[in-house]
Amino acid sequence: MDAYLKAFWLPKEGSTKSEYEDAFFPRSSRSYPLAKRPRFAIADGATEASYSRLWARLLVSGFVRRRLGLPPAVGELEPIQRRWRSKVGGRPLPWFAEEALANGAFAALLGLEFSEERGATSTVKTWRATAAGDCCLIQVRSNDIINTFPFDDSTAFGSRPDLLGSLPAPNGHDNDMVKTFQGTCGFEDTFFLMSDALACWFFKEREAGNQPWNTLRDLDTQGEVSFHEFVTGLRNSKAMKNDDVTLLRIDIA
Amino acid sequence: MNERANIKFMPYTAEISRGNPSCFVFLIDQSGSMGDVFGAGEGNQKKADGVAGAINRLLQNLVIKCAKEEGIRDYFHVGVIGYGAQVGPAFSGALVGRQLVPISEAGNSPARVDQRNKKVSDGAGGLVDQSVRFPVWFEPVANGGTPMCQALGQARSVVEGWLAQHPNCFPPIVINITDGEATDGAPTGPADEVRKLKSSDGDVLLFNIHLSSQRAGAVEYPSNETGLPDQFAQQLFRMSSVLPEYMLNIARNEGMSVSEGSRGFVFNADMVAVIKFLDIGTRPSALR
Repeated sequence: MDAYLKAFWLPKEGSTKSEYEDAFFPRSSRSYPLAKRPRFAIADGATEASYSRLWARLLVSGFVRRRLGLPPAVGELEPIQRRWRSKVGGRPLPWFAEEALANGAFAALLGLEFSEERGATSTVKTWRATAAGDCCLIQVRSNDIINTFPFDDSTAFGSRPDLLGSLPAPNGHDNDMVKTFQGTCGFEDTFFLMSDALACWFFKEREAGNQPWNTLRDLDTQGEVSFHEFVTGLRNSKAMKNDDVTLLRIDIA
Repeated sequence: MNERANIKFMPYTAEISRGNPSCFVFLIDQSGSMGDVFGAGEGNQKKADGVAGAINRLLQNLVIKCAKEEGIRDYFHVGVIGYGAQVGPAFSGALVGRQLVPISEAGNSPARVDQRNKKVSDGAGGLVDQSVRFPVWFEPVANGGTPMCQALGQARSVVEGWLAQHPNCFPPIVINITDGEATDGAPTGPADEVRKLKSSDGDVLLFNIHLSSQRAGAVEYPSNETGLPDQFAQQLFRMSSVLPEYMLNIARNEGMSVSEGSRGFVFNADMVAVIKFLDIGTRPSALR
């Protein structure tokens, strides 16, 4: 069986594409065989920090390329943090840029891995996920949500989440806030990985008794609304806060 | 009643962005009495040093809040009105005479940048000295009377002009840094006039920082005037806006001692925390 990835993203209204501070990996919307244990990740770089976009990109590629364990072990972030420092350092900066850089960059990370184990009589398909911060995973089967991770309702979102930092944590425990979760995977399940603005909208819709997964499943399909139109509509009606938005839709088939 | 009419108006929720910026107006007391020593500490720092330090730290923190790798984003415009021998725009150098400037211009044009040592964690439980650059826009000034009423009047005029151009902005914030003794009348009336201004997102906020010669301990964001050391502190407390609910929530999350009715008033303390109260996007919980 395969995981079919379709990725959607849009920068904050009023920001340019180069200011988009979410990140996702892999970048190619195509199918990935479960037997190869494919990984997928999204990240959301913090606005109030410099070089968050770079940090978010390094985290998603680091996870998908298996430089991070699931969950990341103590010390596994260090090489990625060193890479960030090597890319941002070494040139004279104005006073404010130096100060902002000294605070480091921050990002939420959500990583997902599928696996398929063939036994004598059956094949077991499972998934594991790891998260720091407020990017969310939703697993939908038929017409029901069967898992959400790491949040389960719209009240969990604030503007000050616990995020992974690009500088080593003072106590050396960069992975203290990392959570993990796992489940089994069924034929025709859909997984949604979302950054916080979309995830918060999703939970509010569910709490109002609606089925937002149907809207997301139909995006950009024949005759249906595009992701751009969908997000713009929600922003205009104030149903979604103006933020970078990322959605990975992964169909198992 | 239709559904929209049932939605409760939530003030102080407007997005602060480059397309919809907000503004800060700082009033700095430069009167002769600012040459006196202030506070309960053992040092002999003058109130004028305290005012210069307070405004420089507020501007520094506001600039860093808006700093990104490509430069400073203009989420805010800032104005500084000095009051003492004269009342008027107090920026010097490239910004002289300007009433409101985009925060990027302020960040790029301090009067000078000092080199100072700061204690930082060494990652192993200890502290080490780190050399940091500290921007200075304002030097201590102590000269003339304390025309606070005139200064509040100018602030009102600047904010009115801003609101005419930005009617839907996050409400402007006016921060007055003073030793509290106005010499041109009772400042409560002009302060009321400032607080009556509003954008579609809520009332303009007026906060006061009282730097006093009273040898009394610091007070931060009190909810009543009991315990304030003198009539000037009580008057400045009454002139200060009540902190909006969303600021109270952030302050509580930051571990600050605030309660329902807490006002934007501090006595012999700084107000840098107010910068953290402003939401321009995700702020990591680890960022202090």
